[in-house]
Amino acid sequence: MSEQAYEPRIVAFLCKWCSSAGSDLAGVSRIQYPANATPIQVMCTGGVSPMYVLSAFRKGADGVLVSGCHPGDCHYIEGNYLARRKLHLVKELLDFVGIEPNRFRMSWVSAAEGGKFAQVVHDFVEDLRPLGPQDKVKVDRS
Amino acid sequence: MIKLQDIRDTARDMLTKGEVRAVIGWQAGSRGMEAEPVTITDAAQAGNLVWDPTCYHNLSLYLVNDKKAQAHAKQKPVLPIAIIAKGCDARSTVVLLQENYFKRDEIYIIGVSCEGSGVVDKKKLATALNGVQPTAAAFDGDDYVVTLPDGSEKRLPAREVMANRCLECREPFPKEHNIVLGENKTGRGYAEPFAELAAAEAKSGADRWDYWERQFDRCIRCFACRSVCPMCFCDECVVDSIELKVAPATTAEEKATRTRWIERSNTRADNFVYHMTRAMHLAGRCIDCGECERVCPVNIPLRLLNNKLERESREAFGYEPGASIGAPSLVASFLDEDPGSWIR
Repeated sequence: MSEQAYEPRIVAFLCKWCSSAGSDLAGVSRIQYPANATPIQVMCTGGVSPMYVLSAFRKGADGVLVSGCHPGDCHYIEGNYLARRKLHLVKELLDFVGIEPNRFRMSWVSAAEGGKFAQVVHDFVEDLRPLGPQDKVKVDRS
Repeated sequence: MIKLQDIRDTARDMLTKGEVRAVIGWQAGSRGMEAEPVTITDAAQAGNLVWDPTCYHNLSLYLVNDKKAQAHAKQKPVLPIAIIAKGCDARSTVVLLQENYFKRDEIYIIGVSCEGSGVVDKKKLATALNGVQPTAAAFDGDDYVVTLPDGSEKRLPAREVMANRCLECREPFPKEHNIVLGENKTGRGYAEPFAELAAAEAKSGADRWDYWERQFDRCIRCFACRSVCPMCFCDECVVDSIELKVAPATTAEEKATRTRWIERSNTRADNFVYHMTRAMHLAGRCIDCGECERVCPVNIPLRLLNNKLERESREAFGYEPGASIGAPSLVASFLDEDPGSWIR
């Protein structure tokens, strides 16, 4: 059996109102970008519990992306501000216990920024490639 | 210097006059030097109360337990309950008040200042005494006086055998109180706040993981940290994963596809999620009483995780946990100027 090349697997939590629509726009605009991200639509980044992120790593995600509306554009007025504060703490904590800081990322992508979404995913994949598979906190089912 | 008699008299007076229905404090334990938490309801028991370097327990936990017992009994007592509170106990009581766990007039805080000392670290004490188990310990100014089994007394400077959390303590004086005993000696400067944390952070990312990997591997998931924490008051903890009610009609598929954020098994991955989740749930609420670390049977340095988030929220968001009853909670509030440059 030939060794398969490593492809990072990204779990992307995209807010329904901006980033999901942004990823749709990237698709309908036929922008080419890596297919490594598995999108999960959430109503708002403010609803992304730290447990979503931790659980994704536990289940073997190589990277986790959380993407939402730009500050001031949140459909629920303040959800992304709350997410910014909460996920800042998650980022710091992951870094503190020695998970590579590049494995967790947040971005603001509006519904009109298909190109930016493609760029964010592209950059993330390129940053994850040198890190190799995430097996630090992946649950061992052997 | 707090006179033990003052604490006993205060408790006795309040119970005799019927101002409170109970006093939560410490009494001598049944073995060795260690004190144990006690709830007294009878003025005659006030003479049992003690105040010594082994009063490490954060008594605000028993305020939570009392409230839970009330809810269970569907009763609402008229009289408040009194708590003897060190600086840290008072801060965690403030967080509970901030979260409306109980109202201010339902509790009566008898503050005791740690002044120039704090609680003892049993491991440091055992090292200092070459393993001899003392039978009693007492405060004396900035020193501890321990009684050894042969009846002799030994004086030790408190700062040499004090718990690290007390060395790094920023507020040994209970700011929120109804009455307070002892002097305010805030700013005694034994150790830099977050000194242990800074040392842990100085290591490289790979070394930090080597370190934490060992900690997560070691955890036995006894949940002592959760049980001892006054902030872990949820009736149903998210890591217990019992949302799915299994009935005879529950299908195998429902069981297999239930939401599983985390398993109960103590694998490294699950322990990682557990400890990280606990740290996140304590962000802006943990006031660094250090009880989780003290009770851990496998010596996981849990204070580091909580300290990390405490310092981060202080530096990034200017948030001080347990400072004010009226303050908003850390993760349910935000400022326009919160750091956002890390977001792409």
